[in-house]
Amino acid sequence: MPADSSRRRLAAALRPGNAGVVYALVLIVVVLTATSAQLGRPNYLSSTNITNILDQSSLVAILAVFTTVVLISGNFDLSIASISAFSAATVLSLVSSMGLPLAMAIALGAGLICGVINGVIVQLVGINAFIVTLGTMTAVRGLVLIVTDGRTITAKDPAAQRSLITLQSGYWPSSYVTAVLGVLLLAAAAVVLLRRNRSLLTGGITAAAGVVLIALSLTSSVRLSKPTYYLIVIAAVTWVVLRYTVIGRRLYAVGSNAEAARLSGINVNRYRIGAFVLNGLGSGFVGVLFAAKLLAINPTGLQGTELTVLAAAILGGTSLFGGLGSVLKSVVGALILFTLDNGFNVLNLGANYQGVIVGTVLIVAAAIYTIAGRQRQVRGVRDSGARPVGSEDEPDSEKAEALR
Amino acid sequence: MLALEGVGKAFPNGTVALRDARLTVESGSVHGLVGANGAGKSTMIKIIAGAHAPSEGTVRWKGEGVSWRDPGAARNAGIATIMQHVPLAPTLTVLENVFLGASGPWRLPRTKRTEFARLLDRVGYHIDPDAEVSDLAIGERQMVAILQALATGAELVVMDEPTASLAEGERQVVFDVVRRLSAQGTAFLYVSHFLDEVLSLTDHVTVLRDGTVVEEGETAAYDEDRLVKAIVGRDLLAVERRDTPSVAAGVPALLAVRGLSSPAGVRDVSFEVRTGEVLGLAGLLGSGRSEILHAIYGADKRARGHVLVGDRTVRRRPRAAVAAGMALVPEDRGAQGLVAAFPIWKNVSLPDLSSLASGRMLPRETDERARAARAIEDLGIVSSGPDAVMTELSGGNAQKVVFAKWLYGGARVFMLDEPTAGVDVGAKADILELVRGFAAEGGAVLMVSSEFEEILAVATRVLVVREGRIVAERAARDTSEEELLMLANGFGELGEGGAADAG
Repeated sequence: MPADSSRRRLAAALRPGNAGVVYALVLIVVVLTATSAQLGRPNYLSSTNITNILDQSSLVAILAVFTTVVLISGNFDLSIASISAFSAATVLSLVSSMGLPLAMAIALGAGLICGVINGVIVQLVGINAFIVTLGTMTAVRGLVLIVTDGRTITAKDPAAQRSLITLQSGYWPSSYVTAVLGVLLLAAAAVVLLRRNRSLLTGGITAAAGVVLIALSLTSSVRLSKPTYYLIVIAAVTWVVLRYTVIGRRLYAVGSNAEAARLSGINVNRYRIGAFVLNGLGSGFVGVLFAAKLLAINPTGLQGTELTVLAAAILGGTSLFGGLGSVLKSVVGALILFTLDNGFNVLNLGANYQGVIVGTVLIVAAAIYTIAGRQRQVRGVRDSGARPVGSEDEPDSEKAEALR
Repeated sequence: MLALEGVGKAFPNGTVALRDARLTVESGSVHGLVGANGAGKSTMIKIIAGAHAPSEGTVRWKGEGVSWRDPGAARNAGIATIMQHVPLAPTLTVLENVFLGASGPWRLPRTKRTEFARLLDRVGYHIDPDAEVSDLAIGERQMVAILQALATGAELVVMDEPTASLAEGERQVVFDVVRRLSAQGTAFLYVSHFLDEVLSLTDHVTVLRDGTVVEEGETAAYDEDRLVKAIVGRDLLAVERRDTPSVAAGVPALLAVRGLSSPAGVRDVSFEVRTGEVLGLAGLLGSGRSEILHAIYGADKRARGHVLVGDRTVRRRPRAAVAAGMALVPEDRGAQGLVAAFPIWKNVSLPDLSSLASGRMLPRETDERARAARAIEDLGIVSSGPDAVMTELSGGNAQKVVFAKWLYGGARVFMLDEPTAGVDVGAKADILELVRGFAAEGGAVLMVSSEFEEILAVATRVLVVREGRIVAERAARDTSEEELLMLANGFGELGEGGAADAG
């Protein structure tokens, strides 16, 4: 029975409705690799190119992780890119006089405060999150203009530049990471297999993945940039918190049915404000990394990034209605966007077509999720021969379900 | 004009909502449809409105057999249904709402204004055509809905609990309009819990009980007493009434409520529930019974007053209530009780998650599943297992999951809001047995139900609620369903309140 149920869970996790975004990424990479080989261009899957894609997507992917948390909680945040730009402007204008640690702390604090403002207005005053964060997006962008006085600002002091550069530049070989991950997976597999009521299947797959990773670390080595490592750590920690802790479970419950969560004794406001605060802090951190990367920010820097981030989250199957989403899939969503971007450059296909393709991919992805969700529901109802909860009086609930 | 013959309706999950039902509505008559919750009124209305197709029997409209594919077809044929929650477009004006279904290229042709004036004239009511619907009181919105129905040329207007949320003055306006229009030939099918309204307004009445028509006839032949008896029935006690032992006076109160009031419709409510006691709150729809529970639980932020569990005052928020050992099984399990995206095991563990978690932080999923499996076993939840998603479950089984949430977490004060609503008979008996068990194992239960039969089956004492107040208290063994229904309708021994409503 336990083996059976875990096998069913595994099968469910691998269904296109669930893991589609991963298949899509693999498909895109395969197509690009094949095309570039056909056209006689350098190997698309070269370690340099992989390093590049990961580095380019890391900042957006970090933002996508935190935005996913806000979306799961049942809210919406448009202000992230403005907050990042504000944080970048803050750190650049302060780093020469104060030194990096203090300037960075202030920049992160600024992001955090923006998050608090968003959360408090949305949850305690009760204004729609879209409106509130549209407002803070505009207002914080205004702050960026004030801080920069409408010009590009740079960190001129060489010492300050050096300290910023150490924050984000430099590459470490990934073999250590893959090796460590492989060992961890093997350990996890051992735990799974030694437990009384667990399946051979889960344990076997985990062990195999561990062996593959260790083999990878011995044979090949990709050098990854520091922001990529930041992304890996942030995504992994957030995923663990959402997947394995009480906080994560309650966050999903809050996003899925706030009233039921509240009547179950969960402090809904705390979770939702917390998500905004985390998003503000994360945006502040990304702003600092952005400043460290370019050593400059112009007043329109990062403008529009919030939409790329939302696109990544949607590609990852995150619901705009709350209660559904996975940070890892959002990261994959970000990778898809940047792989397409990179593919257009590498294959020299002309950037003009890019918007059309990316937009189409986004809508197709959303369509797949919607249809898969609807079919799953129909199947569930048909299997048991019973009607869904509460459907008798509210035919709308089914439609709402299908939208997720 | 409208005739239902031998109409039955069975739902795919096996619930038979209507069996061999008949109904005849003459033109120009106001026909009352009454029955307890779950008697099949809503199903019958939905069949008439074309929202459900009958599984058997025929519907005749003006002598011809019809089968409507959707509500629009019924509407075009001349049947307008006004639901309890009036579906109007709140940002449009009265005029625009009334002619919402009208075709034509322009938003507000001048002819519509004259038509509207004629309509008002016919109804004998005045309302500003340019007022925005969101600014109107609920009673006025009800009138707009009636006008809308008339504007589509309806010859039969079905009204489902039209006065449930109306103030006394507004009710009178609705009554006047109904009388006036029926005199002009429009037929009404009037569904209401309020028997005084049915008695004073209608000329024919049909009584439904357990999906069948038990009585029909001219309203003049009925008084409250006879109507109540017909609704309740004598022979069909689905639940056995057990002589519940009254709890000794010396037992301390487990839940004490002092001076609780809320703008949501709770007025100075005070009472106590002792350990081992099941206290029933009997009241009609809209009487404030659910609001009382929400106020006690702290879910209603605007409520003021004191709530004590044992001898400790509970802070007024759900989290504190849960920590103090209170449990709420809410009225609408889909919207308030369950997280639809979660499987059974995640729903069951939700209120008590930290005690199933290592270091109160990492949920032990094996234990959670084990608890869900135990709940499935204990409560007889029909499902494919702990991993079943909520959408797979029937109403009764979903309700058992809501109960299971509170079963193993040390809750002592159980507040149950319509625990058997939308639940089939078998599950109903299970749930009532569960309620008895709560009390027997040293808990205190506060149960709201509009099925007074149920309250009497499990409760030791009954409080009758009307207009947010407790208007009477009875020991369950000394009262009857009839008496409770009278009291809840305001036909008290003092003859105050509701008796005047009847005029």
